[in-house]
Amino acid sequence: MIIVWLVIFASTLIYFFLTERVSNLIQILSVQGALLFAIAFINLENMHLLGLILVLLETLIVKAIVVPWFLNKLRKTNNMKRLMENVIPSFYSVLIMVFIIMGSFMLGYFMNNDFVDVKFFTIAISTILGGIYFVIVHKNIFNHIVGFLIIENGAFLLSLAVGGEFPFLVSMAVLIDILMAIMIIGVFVNKVGNTFGNMSTSSLNQLKD
Amino acid sequence: MGVSILLIIISALLFPGLVGWMKSKFVGRKGPRILQPLFDILKLLKKGNIYSSTTGILFQIAPVVYFTTTLLAALFIPIGNYQAILSFEGDFVVFAYLFGLGRFLMIVAAMDTGSPFEGMGANREAFYALLVEPAFFIIFGSIALLSGHNSFYEIFINLHTSSALSFFVALLIIYILFWVSMVENSRLPVDDPKTHLELTMVHEVMVLDHSGFDMALIHLAGGLKFAIYGSLMFNFVLPIQNNFLVQLLLFPVIMVGYALTVAVLETFRARNKMGKNAQWIITLSALAIVVFLSFLIITQHLNFGL
Repeated sequence: MIIVWLVIFASTLIYFFLTERVSNLIQILSVQGALLFAIAFINLENMHLLGLILVLLETLIVKAIVVPWFLNKLRKTNNMKRLMENVIPSFYSVLIMVFIIMGSFMLGYFMNNDFVDVKFFTIAISTILGGIYFVIVHKNIFNHIVGFLIIENGAFLLSLAVGGEFPFLVSMAVLIDILMAIMIIGVFVNKVGNTFGNMSTSSLNQLKD
Repeated sequence: MGVSILLIIISALLFPGLVGWMKSKFVGRKGPRILQPLFDILKLLKKGNIYSSTTGILFQIAPVVYFTTTLLAALFIPIGNYQAILSFEGDFVVFAYLFGLGRFLMIVAAMDTGSPFEGMGANREAFYALLVEPAFFIIFGSIALLSGHNSFYEIFINLHTSSALSFFVALLIIYILFWVSMVENSRLPVDDPKTHLELTMVHEVMVLDHSGFDMALIHLAGGLKFAIYGSLMFNFVLPIQNNFLVQLLLFPVIMVGYALTVAVLETFRARNKMGKNAQWIITLSALAIVVFLSFLIITQHLNFGL
């Protein structure tokens, strides 16, 4: 069953490059958060209660609800509907994302390692590379946040690939880190939006001391 | 053996009318009868053709070839345990190329008219066909890999959705096939058959110069394509159902469900912007690759620790 969730997760990566509507990007992020919870819940069957609560908090609460809610608020504040500032046309990006997924599967196939769970590793690498590519091809700061969150989702999957649960303190630190990062970037986005009237990173060149 | 083609032809005759009737009901209109498109086709069949003096022989033979290749492709489709009339190793490749041949002739015929609008439509149709074809081949290549066979009948007889992953992948295949059928039939969201502006047309602008008997054949081929794709989806829903009677009874149910989905989609969904069509269609191929990778996992060609 866990493979099904992972395959759906891989499919969502393709949709990040297809859509231009900001609301759709946020929805896909929310779906990814819910999928991560399903994946972690099935994988960490023998988890103790505190660990379960933490995973629930990190995935279902933070990644699937709180962060999308915050991004939605950001979208409404800055009146963002569509972001069409791709450096590379979406058509090519969809193809490149498919090649990234295929490459990750090939890498997973050749990795025969007792320390790494191949199924998580494959999707994690696709997600991280997909996130990095998403940041590279978009000029808009808001999309950079989305890219950051995709990479973060990949890192979560990578943690499952290398050994299941993190210690409590590490998990808490990661959770707070994500929240703080999103809050700070959110404030930054609002300031950029207020100052320049748009979210393009090219506007930042105009900044002076 | 002839049951499958009979079911496909009956579906092809009723499908456009059913979709039109459902769409009318959704928007609160009385709408035409379900059999109205059939009566229109009968009326067209009685009429003669009018050919422009600028067109040549290609323009005249294209609708006949288009209809014939589509009908021939329908002969390859089994319905459940009702075997197809034509079945051999690799028949799904011939099936795809028969569609390709019909489309090629229609594109050439459109360009034969010398009309810039028809040339533009032909250009778009060729481009969309080019983009959607990999999705079809990847899907059927993948299920040929899973079932160990490469003819439609053998594939569907040997297809089992035993695990959760294979069940999910079957759903994904139906989803992709549905959209492939919409692209192949030039329907929403890539094209809108109701559009009245030549600049935004794809398939409709290609057939503007056809009339009478030829136009009837084009309409019949359109219905046949829907019936063929509906039958393919039916085979994914009921691949190993052994009771012939149950299959016979469930086939209309699946086709009505398919018509309902098309009607809902065409009523409530807007058409894509023309520039976005390419990336939208290529996403189907991308999802087909996800299906392919999933099949590699199921068949353990990829070591996923299953």
